[in-house]
Amino acid sequence: MSGAAAPAPVIRVDGVSRWFGDVVAVSDVTFDVMPGITGMLGPNGAGKTTLLRMITGLADVSTGTITVFGEPVRDNPPLYRRIGVMSEHETVYGFMTGREFVRTMGKLRRVEKLDDAVDRAIEFVDLADAQHRPMGTYSRGMRQRMRLAATLVHDPELLILDEPLNGADPRQRVHFQRLLEHLAAEGRTIVISSHILEEVEQLADTVLLIINGKLAASGGFRAIRAALNERPYHVRVICDAPRKLASAVVTLESVEAVNVDPDGAVVVLSRNVRDLQVELPRLAQAGSIRLRRVEPLDDSLESVFGYLVER
Amino acid sequence: MGPVYVLTLRQLFSRWRLLIMTALAAFPVLIAFVMLHDGTAPSVGEFESVVLEGMLAGAIIPLVVLAIAGAAFANEVEDRTLANLTLSPIPRWQIVVPKLLASITIAAPFIALSAFLTSHVGFVGDARAVAAVTAAALAAVALYSSAFLWLGLLTTHAVAVGLGYIVLWEGIFSRFVGGVRLFSIRHHSIALMHALDERRFAAASHVGSTAAIVAAVVVFSAFVLLAIRRLRRMDVP
Repeated sequence: MSGAAAPAPVIRVDGVSRWFGDVVAVSDVTFDVMPGITGMLGPNGAGKTTLLRMITGLADVSTGTITVFGEPVRDNPPLYRRIGVMSEHETVYGFMTGREFVRTMGKLRRVEKLDDAVDRAIEFVDLADAQHRPMGTYSRGMRQRMRLAATLVHDPELLILDEPLNGADPRQRVHFQRLLEHLAAEGRTIVISSHILEEVEQLADTVLLIINGKLAASGGFRAIRAALNERPYHVRVICDAPRKLASAVVTLESVEAVNVDPDGAVVVLSRNVRDLQVELPRLAQAGSIRLRRVEPLDDSLESVFGYLVER
Repeated sequence: MGPVYVLTLRQLFSRWRLLIMTALAAFPVLIAFVMLHDGTAPSVGEFESVVLEGMLAGAIIPLVVLAIAGAAFANEVEDRTLANLTLSPIPRWQIVVPKLLASITIAAPFIALSAFLTSHVGFVGDARAVAAVTAAALAAVALYSSAFLWLGLLTTHAVAVGLGYIVLWEGIFSRFVGGVRLFSIRHHSIALMHALDERRFAAASHVGSTAAIVAAVVVFSAFVLLAIRRLRRMDVP
């Protein structure tokens, strides 16, 4: 009896580290990327860009190996026929029109029937009307979309997009997300990096959490979300009867500790923030306590990542 | 025309750069004209030493080429557009060679015209000497272009390092330390000029034309290969 072989990963990162002098940017990271949208999530400076630069072959690894479609990516130009990369930098030539830029990238990538491919890519990002304007006159969102067109002009199977939604306004963000979903539905592999949790949540099937150059967690977004919801939260409550509220809150099962600060604020440590959100108003109402302010003390992305790394 | 060649031409053509190059290229012509019309005409040896070897080969050619070839890669590294090229499925030599050709395409007409007019004024229309000076100047453009192109990949301070090379290495050290001349592009281009017209430059110590051409080809090839190797191994920003 022989079972079906598992599909080969599109990207395999195996024990990869990268350091610059004494600074370790990426430390012993291992993961596989399969078809679909994979989100690389982490705060600024976590090592996402360094990792993506190594995956695209722009930077070398200090140790470890990276393969894309089963081949080493470094110093392997033919592989770029199958890969489209959009870096975080707005690497455009301001003196070119959008169409010239996409066409030049198509020529560099040896695209056959170039004009058809350029038309298709520009129409896909909905910039046909602006294609003959110099890119120096584009808004940031338009530049990003035209860069996406240039990334797609050779119809790559793998797309690597480093912070593509950076600086986009909400409307452009929604448009860009729709484009990426459309591309993923065509069977492409897309790796997208971001430091915004919600951005990745909306797009990615699989998440790679990177913090301090390490892979903190990986898997489906629900598993990551569940892990995040289990973490202890500090919540600060300002009310008109702090001691009364503290004695009521401490009876909740989800609450681990309660302190009353010298300034009269109640600081609650809870492992189930959703439970606290429901119970806190109820307790206040029952005790005729007026709540003035409820705020999380450690809800920054960095603290979330920090928790996951320390687990 | 390849896309890298056309792209590099468009990147390097700027009004200010062309104006500076025009002013630099006109300078030796003016000096030659003034020297020959101030009533105390210099000897051929003086003209050769001051204008051709000192000014044209020692300053104008390397400075003009540094402004062009030094920027061909260095600007792309600085504004982070180099990744657009290196993420393409083309061998690295197909990036380096078109960039080199584009640099030569821009610098060569200025230098050729400057060398032609300067030597024409100085040697009063001696066709063979004018041809030797112009050909050697063009060879110098190719040699410096290959060197400064590589330099642009090596450091983001290509202009400063290039100026250091021109002033300190070629201008001072090679004058006093004989062995340094082997690593001086100026020395190789002057040797080529001597070799191409042994009659006119008979007084100068020179190598044979074959040796001069071989040395120039070796230097040119070495820098092109170094640039290709560097582009393959470097971390592209």
